[in-house]
Amino acid sequence: MHNLSEEYKTLVSIAERTGGQPGSFGSEDVIYIVVHGNRILASHALPGVLIEASETGDGIDARIIVQAQTKVSKPVHLCFGHLADSGRQVIRSRIFLEEGSSAEFQAHCIFPNAIEFLHAMEGEIHLGPGSAFSYREVHVHGPEGRIDVRPVSRVRIDERAVYRGDFTLVEGRVGNLAIDIDVEAHGRRSRVEVTSKIYGKFDDFCQVRDIVRLTGAESTALIKARVVLKDRSQGKFLGLVDGAAPGARGHVDCTEVVQGEARAVASPVVQASHPEAEVTHEAAIGRIADEKIQGLMAKGLSADAAIDFVVSGLLR
Amino acid sequence: MLEPQMLFVKDLEVEREGNRILRGISMQVHPGEICGVLGRNGAGKSSLAYAIMGLPQYAPRKGRIWFDGEDITEWGVTERARAGITLAWQHPARYEGILVRDYLKLSKPDAGEEDLEEALKLVQMEPFYLDRMVDKGLSGGERKRIELSSIYLMKPRLAILDEPDSGVDLLALGEVMGLFKLLASGGSSVLIITHREDVAAACDRSYLMCAGKMILEGSAAAVKRYFLSQCEPCVEQKPENTGEAALNHA
Repeated sequence: MHNLSEEYKTLVSIAERTGGQPGSFGSEDVIYIVVHGNRILASHALPGVLIEASETGDGIDARIIVQAQTKVSKPVHLCFGHLADSGRQVIRSRIFLEEGSSAEFQAHCIFPNAIEFLHAMEGEIHLGPGSAFSYREVHVHGPEGRIDVRPVSRVRIDERAVYRGDFTLVEGRVGNLAIDIDVEAHGRRSRVEVTSKIYGKFDDFCQVRDIVRLTGAESTALIKARVVLKDRSQGKFLGLVDGAAPGARGHVDCTEVVQGEARAVASPVVQASHPEAEVTHEAAIGRIADEKIQGLMAKGLSADAAIDFVVSGLLR
Repeated sequence: MLEPQMLFVKDLEVEREGNRILRGISMQVHPGEICGVLGRNGAGKSSLAYAIMGLPQYAPRKGRIWFDGEDITEWGVTERARAGITLAWQHPARYEGILVRDYLKLSKPDAGEEDLEEALKLVQMEPFYLDRMVDKGLSGGERKRIELSSIYLMKPRLAILDEPDSGVDLLALGEVMGLFKLLASGGSSVLIITHREDVAAACDRSYLMCAGKMILEGSAAAVKRYFLSQCEPCVEQKPENTGEAALNHA
């Protein structure tokens, strides 16, 4: 059995090493929550932000409200994880940003020893008028084994609100990943950016389904995916933007790089269900060009190190 | 007494897609020397650079390459680079999402800010470029200069520079040539591949290449004179079709 404080230290140290600000967890002026399995190890809020979290049989239920006109100056850190090699964790969250508020959330999902594990994130996000919300989710998995990762988000955006979602899984095994993001930008002049960066290896399976419906007049969206697949991994990307309002503008941009015996399918879908909407797309699947790899090898890198360097930039 | 050789190429032949693109090339580069290979487009100069660097697509079907006395003909690109050979491509590759700082540090992992700034200064670039991406917002000339500064940081024993002046404006060209001299004064040998006689003329010694063959070796001035007075663009670029005719002409 793990010691709780050791679990806290381990999760937090990995979170800080992989994109978190050192010293954020435990700081008086930072909002954070640390969850190991279904146990809430630590939680801290500040005026203007309400956090209600409760433990369930397999994870937690959390409700977070950023009150009207509250500007959260430092990133809110959410650390979810488990140090065991098997089990499940389901995080159900409802996040509401009230009118004129803004916040940046960084979710650290840490499963360094997982071999047979299910990690599900079921999120409902509602952005009030004129609010701005940035959600960045970084996963850290171990080098072996499989983990089922199910990030599911339903996002609704009011007028002039801005949503930025960024999912990154580049360290360790991806396992079996199925991202399912569905955003409705129904407010006038609302803005959406959804980015996925994934590095699949061995026999990982990566599925990304990003859908944005632009139902608000003059709303805009960018769906961007950078997927690198090597060994025998497989990837499927579906990015769909529906321009369903006058003046709506959308773009889908997907680049998948395959090495070894990896296989990739990319489906950028654009649809204009309103005659005054404009949606565009670009997609590319290919190998890393020899000239890029050889250019780095001419500086003394091995072929593998050269590929990793190119990939690190692509997934930056 | 024989001069010491940093690079010695003997009877090198390379074939690609049924065409003999290098036809019995022999040449040498001495320690600390700036050596030019001059020739018109399609002469095979870049192919020679790739073959010396060890690109597998340019593996020789015949001939040998020695570097500092070692036969490196069978060595791969990384082994050659670790032995001290490097190549600056005519068109540097675009690496998405990589900072200039991180790119330069590949050449010298322990480089400090001052080292990086000095390397940029030598190619007429300001320190703020360190925080720019190598693939975005840089002109071809700027990327070229960054590539040259990375070569400077490596301090290789042999730097092969393929058309180092392409994309670099005339004002900066003098600085670029100064960089090569600085490299050579530090002990590096420099092999410059160029189609411009004024660039070749700034070398210590030059070769003239035509249709996959070396047709002349001599002082940079002599090679330039010959090039200006005798060489004309080949009618056909395919060496199989033009080799003997071009050589007869030369």
